[in-house]
Amino acid sequence: MTKEEVKGAVEEDSQAQSKKALKKQQKEAEKAAKKAEKQAKQAAEQQMTDEDDFAEDRYGVPPMLQSQARLDRVLVRVQDLTAEKAGQLLWVRARIHTSRAKGKQCFLVLRQQQFNVQALVAVGDRASKQMVKFAANITKESIVDVEGVVRKVEQKIESCTQQDVELHIERIFVVSQAEPRLPLQLEDAVRPEGEGDEEGRATVNQDTRLDNRVIDLRTTTSQAIFRLQSGVCQLFRDTLTSKGFVEIQTPKIISAASEGGANVFTVSYFKTSAYLAQSPQLYKQMCICADFDKVFCVGPVFRAEDSNTHRHLTEFVGLDIEMTFNYHYHEVVESIADTMVQIFKGLRDRFQTEIQTVNKQYPSEPFKFLEPTLRLEYWEAVAMLRQAGVEMGDEDDLSTPNEKLLGRLVKEKYDTDFYVLDKYPLAVRPFYTMPDPSNPKYSNSYDMFMRGEEILSGAQRVHDAELLTERALHHNIDLEKIKAYIDSFRFGAPPHAGGGIGLERVTMLYLGLHNVRQTSMFPRDPKRLTP
Amino acid sequence: MQKTLSESKRCSPITVKSLPVRSNHGPAALQSPSNRAEQRSCPQWRRANMALMELASLEKSLGFKKANKYSTQGNNKTPILQSNKGAPLIGLVTIASHLVQEAAQPELLGRTAEQRAVVRQWLEYRVTQLDGCPKEDIRSILKELNQYLEDKVYLAGSDFTLADILLYYGVHHIMADLSVQEKEQHMNLSRWFDHIQHYPGIRQHLPLVVVLRNRLYTGGHH
Repeated sequence: MTKEEVKGAVEEDSQAQSKKALKKQQKEAEKAAKKAEKQAKQAAEQQMTDEDDFAEDRYGVPPMLQSQARLDRVLVRVQDLTAEKAGQLLWVRARIHTSRAKGKQCFLVLRQQQFNVQALVAVGDRASKQMVKFAANITKESIVDVEGVVRKVEQKIESCTQQDVELHIERIFVVSQAEPRLPLQLEDAVRPEGEGDEEGRATVNQDTRLDNRVIDLRTTTSQAIFRLQSGVCQLFRDTLTSKGFVEIQTPKIISAASEGGANVFTVSYFKTSAYLAQSPQLYKQMCICADFDKVFCVGPVFRAEDSNTHRHLTEFVGLDIEMTFNYHYHEVVESIADTMVQIFKGLRDRFQTEIQTVNKQYPSEPFKFLEPTLRLEYWEAVAMLRQAGVEMGDEDDLSTPNEKLLGRLVKEKYDTDFYVLDKYPLAVRPFYTMPDPSNPKYSNSYDMFMRGEEILSGAQRVHDAELLTERALHHNIDLEKIKAYIDSFRFGAPPHAGGGIGLERVTMLYLGLHNVRQTSMFPRDPKRLTP
Repeated sequence: MQKTLSESKRCSPITVKSLPVRSNHGPAALQSPSNRAEQRSCPQWRRANMALMELASLEKSLGFKKANKYSTQGNNKTPILQSNKGAPLIGLVTIASHLVQEAAQPELLGRTAEQRAVVRQWLEYRVTQLDGCPKEDIRSILKELNQYLEDKVYLAGSDFTLADILLYYGVHHIMADLSVQEKEQHMNLSRWFDHIQHYPGIRQHLPLVVVLRNRLYTGGHH
């Protein structure tokens, strides 16, 4: 570079800089002008609101509800707003799901649980400009008391559950105001996977959902899932009660690990330590030995397994069954399988709306089952897998991929999503499992599967103290630790069998969901202890 | 598709699943002690072993009574056949084409000029694209083959050719590792593969790969 050139470059530089400065000044001037304009506008608006507002007692934010008075007012449920109510003036309490103002009108979608209805505030002899503006400014998810007239609509409102009517609002009061910024948008949280990608819209990932579980649980999908889950518990109880079962409550703080000490939570217990129950196994069996014949319990179960998979939780709800039988443990298998079938039938007949709602976001085929339930033996399953090209030994345990493949093969051959796999190899089952009388390699134990995933593990238990001791020694279990358990069987113990079901897994697999966290209200896993 | 005629593609050090060698099957060359010492660690040796086993199988399926003796050369262990009538033949495809001529089955190289070109193309694909293909590219190869075979019984259309034999030998170890679901995802490839492995005299020493005939994964679930 010559000196000339350098000089030129410097000059150019300074010129460019001055250009930039000019631009900056212009921008600032524009900004100031805009600000002034805005202020003028705000002042004008202020004046307008200061003007006489004829509807000022028809809207607003009343003082916090502290049970000041008991109003003689009936609040109608959103799901009851149908064409039959057309022309009626009534009160509704709901959330503001969405709102959009269009000039002299403001459209609101009012939501109550999984139902929503379109509402409308329009300037007229009932509502003033200011009232429309107020309605448009209510933050999303706020709870409002609304008085309005139900009117039939010409065209069905596709985006709402109440498609035949809309609500013409005459009064609107905010009961509880939501903060303007929501951690997640409800529309984003119910968008089916894949649909958002096409339109470039956001979907909410699992962790964001769980971090803000309270809001996520308001979505139609969540509402449907947990209503259906409540139905599972209800059907479980009803079915078993009608079969003559007694519901029991068992302690969750226990002195010794029941299923081997590997995956158990230790809690400090005064001067010693205790464990959180991995299953009510011991207590169910003690109840059997105490002449309760048929027992079930619904309660929390803890597993300190450090596995972060789609189907493991550290705390889940166990539905446990234990019952005596007369001569063959298949009496119990049939009883449990029938209970499951009654649950599936009940869900199918009573929860169709919820199933459809979940299907909108997570499509899956309807759950299929046979009556009576299909029962396969382990060797048959191994043969089916071998035919499909899987290499495995007679007494190998089923790996998760093989379980899933087997589910597919069974579905293809028998057209059922639910079946029982019986006669597991003795080597892969717990010590209290009764060996098969005709072939000591096998055992009187069974798993039940939904959509190729295990939901229940069960077996005939050893009710003879001698054999139980022998089996415990075979498994290298310290007899001292399970002394109380073994002693239970010394004073006459009836033959019995049972099983334990995971509630969240049943819900997940019935609905064809992919993650057990979706069916646990406040999931606990190795990485999550909140909310 | 690349159009190089060289077969001396650099051997990328991937371990090819070795096949169970049964001593009564392999050609005599395999039984030499020097080779057996190498067998333990060297994937190249296994590659060569595969190529030689493949040629032995091909000879059998073409109806040769007596096995030829092969040697190998270079790092890639390219197979060599010292023929009685002049220069040695080098490379899998060259030797395979020669064996087909020897067996008086020239139709295996294609019946028409077009078909001959297609067969040559697939033989080349086998040695340039498939052999020594890194693990991460296997998916795309399977996808490509599956698409190509959508409307064909054989690689060269409606006639069985040498291309089918050599590609079958080439993808066998990949197919044997696929899950049931993956085989169903590549349905056309699996159909072709199953057809070829049951074609009289082709499979020889290779284990049968199970291909199910019913669809298991129809619904979009799991």
